[in-house]
Amino acid sequence: MFLTRSEYDRGVNTFSPEGRLFQVEYAIEAIKLGSTTVGIRTPDGVILGVEKRVPSPLLESSSVEKIMEIDAHIGCAMSGLTADARTMIDHARVTSQNHSFTYDEKIGVESVTQAVCDLALRFGESMDNESAMMSRPFGVALLIAGIDEKGPQLYHTDPSGTYTRYEAKAIGSGSEAAQSDLQDKYHKQMTLREAQHLILRVLKQVMEEKLDHHNIQLAQVTKTDGFHILSETELQELIDTMPAAPAPGAA
Amino acid sequence: MSAQERRFNPYTENGGTILAIAGQDFTVIAGDTRQSEGYNIQTRYAPKVFRLTDKAVLAVNGFAADGNMFVQKVQQRLEWYQHAHNKEMPLRAIARLIQTMLYAKRFFPYYVYNILGGIEDDGSGAVYSFDPVGSYEREACRAAGAAQSLVQPFLDNQIYFKNQLPPSGGAHPKHLPLKEVLSLVIDSFTGATERHIEVGDGLEIYIVTASKRPNADLEAIANLKQVPGGFIGGEDGEKIYVVRRELKKD
Amino acid sequence: MSIMEYNGGSVVAMAGKDCVAIASDLRLGNQALTIATNFEKVFPVTERIMLGMAGLATDVLTLRDRFRFRVNMYTIKEEREIEPETFAHLVSSTLYERRFGPYFIEPVIAGLGKGTNKPFIASTDVIGCINFAKDFVVAGTATDKLFGVAESLWEPDLEPEDLFETISQTLMNAVDRDAFSGWGAVVHIITPEKVITRHLKARMD
Repeated sequence: MFLTRSEYDRGVNTFSPEGRLFQVEYAIEAIKLGSTTVGIRTPDGVILGVEKRVPSPLLESSSVEKIMEIDAHIGCAMSGLTADARTMIDHARVTSQNHSFTYDEKIGVESVTQAVCDLALRFGESMDNESAMMSRPFGVALLIAGIDEKGPQLYHTDPSGTYTRYEAKAIGSGSEAAQSDLQDKYHKQMTLREAQHLILRVLKQVMEEKLDHHNIQLAQVTKTDGFHILSETELQELIDTMPAAPAPGAA
Repeated sequence: MSAQERRFNPYTENGGTILAIAGQDFTVIAGDTRQSEGYNIQTRYAPKVFRLTDKAVLAVNGFAADGNMFVQKVQQRLEWYQHAHNKEMPLRAIARLIQTMLYAKRFFPYYVYNILGGIEDDGSGAVYSFDPVGSYEREACRAAGAAQSLVQPFLDNQIYFKNQLPPSGGAHPKHLPLKEVLSLVIDSFTGATERHIEVGDGLEIYIVTASKRPNADLEAIANLKQVPGGFIGGEDGEKIYVVRRELKKD
Repeated sequence: MSIMEYNGGSVVAMAGKDCVAIASDLRLGNQALTIATNFEKVFPVTERIMLGMAGLATDVLTLRDRFRFRVNMYTIKEEREIEPETFAHLVSSTLYERRFGPYFIEPVIAGLGKGTNKPFIASTDVIGCINFAKDFVVAGTATDKLFGVAESLWEPDLEPEDLFETISQTLMNAVDRDAFSGWGAVVHIITPEKVITRHLKARMD
C-alpha cells in the first residue's frame, strides 16, 4: 500500500503527488490496532459493545472506559487512540448542549456526527486563537449511536473526517472477522435482546481472552430510556442467557 | 452652569400594534401597517408581520429599523439551520432561537416586541410572545405595541373568558373557531384605530393552518390569499394565508 | 411620579336606551400600597345624576363636598332640580376656577334629563374641558384599557340589564390589567324609575 512512501508522509497538510494525505491514512491504520468495537442498529434502539483489554490482573477493569455518553439520547464507542476521543467527545458534548440551549430540542444524531467530523479535519490549525495546534489527525474511530426524530441510527467516523451510517459496524483489531460475522447474522427486524446477544457473540469470537463481565462493555440507546451503559450485573445476566448456538431468529 | 452632554439616541418608537391568537389547529397573527414617528406618519404600508417558514409567522413591533433587521437575522439563522440539519426549524426551536438572539444583545437590545405564531410539531396552534431582551412564554393570545393596553384586556375577556361565568355544568371553550377569532382580531384593530393615533391605515392578518386541516371555512373569508412558501409538507402540509383589509386613515 | 397615579382608581360611564350607567373600582392606594378596598368614587348628585371622580383621593372628597354645596345652592336659588347638562357646566367652571393650580381629578358625569329621560354622559379633564360623548366616557389610571374594551363591547341602545353587563365587563377586564385599579367594583344604573346599585364580585389582586 505504501510503496510510494516519500517525504510526503511527514507533513499533515501536504498532499503527495498522487493526491494522498499519508498522515491521515496512517491514522486510519492506527485504528486497526485498537480493541474491537461493535455497533448494531435495531428498530427499538442501538447497541454498542467494546472489548476491554485487561493486560494485567492488577488493572482495575472498571477504569477502562471506551463507551461514553454524548447526551441523554446519544452515546459513542471508540477504537484506536482513546485519549484522542476525549477531545472529540468533549466537542460533541458541547455541540449538543449548545444546540439544546439554542433550539430547545435534542440535536440530531447526524448533526453531532457532522460536528465531530468537522473537528477531525482541523489538524494543522490553531484552535480558539491560541498558539496550541492540533498537530496531527486523530488516531481514533468512533461509533456514534443515537435516537432522534428519524429513529435509531448508528454512524461511523474515521480520522479523515468521513462519516457513514451503518445498520451494523465493527471497528478495531478484530473488525474484519467481526464485520463478516455481523453481515452473516444481522437482520433488520432484530430485537434489542437479539442484538445484545449478537454483539456478545461477535466479541467472544474475536477476543483472545474468555469473555466475561469485566472485559467487555455494552451500552444501548433506546427510545424510552435514552443512553445507558449496562452495569456489570446486567452484563452478567446477558452473558448467562446467551444462547449457545446461533442466536434465535438469526439467519 | 454644568456642561451639557449631547448624545445620539439610537432608538425611535414607530407605533403600530400587533396581535396573535392560537386556535386548535390554526394560528392568526395580525398587525396594522401604519408606521409613524411622533405625530408624523412615515408610511401607511409598512408590514410588521412576516412569514418565516411554512408553519411560522413572526410579528415585530417597536423600533422599525431594529425590527426589520431582526427579522432578517432570524431568517438567516433559519436558512443556516436548514442547511446544517436538513429540516425546517420547528416552532418551539424558533421561539428559543429568538430568545437567545435577543438576549445576546442584552446590553444594547433590539427595541422590539416580538410575537411568534404558527403550528407546533404536534399540530396545535401556538403563540409565543417575547420582551425586547428575550423573556418568552407560550400563550393562547397576546397583543403588543402602541395599543397593547387597549387590546389585551379585551382579549382577556373574549379569549380567556375572564370575568365570565362558564355555562352551568360546562366549561369555557379552550379554543375558538377561526371565524370568531378573525372577527375578534378585526374588532380589536378597529377599536384600537378609533382610540389610538398610532394605529390605522391597513390591517394584515396572517392565518397559519395545520397540516391536513379541512380548510373549507376559509372560503368564506374575503380577500384571502395563500402565501407562497417552501411547501415542504406538500399539499397536505401547513399553509399560510393572508387577509389584507383597510383601517381608518385619520 | 404622577400625582394622578398617587391613589389610583378608575371610573367609567355609558349611555343606554333611556338609561345610563356609571361605575368605579374600590381601590384606594398609596402608590403601590393598597390602603383600602371600599373607596367608592361615584356619588349621587340628584335622584337622576351621578358624579364619578378619578384622581387624587383628597381632591375627590373635597370636590364631592364642594359640588354638593354648589348643587344645593343651585336648587335653592333656582327652586328646581339641576339638569345633567347644567351640572356638567357647573363641574367645568368649578374646575376652571383653579386653572393654574388644579384639583387633580378627572370627573365623569352620568344622568337622565328631567322629563325627557334623555341619557346624558360627559367627562372633563382636570381643568374642566368637557367631553360630551354619546357612547361612553372613562377616567382614571385604567383609561387606556377602559377605552380599548369599551370601544369593542359597547353598542347603541342597550337596555338597563344589558348596559349593566357591558359596563361591568368593561370595568372589570380593564382594571384587571391595571395595577392601580381594581379590588372590587360598584355599578350604578340610572333608569327613569330608580337607581340600581350593585357591588361586583371581582378579582382581589
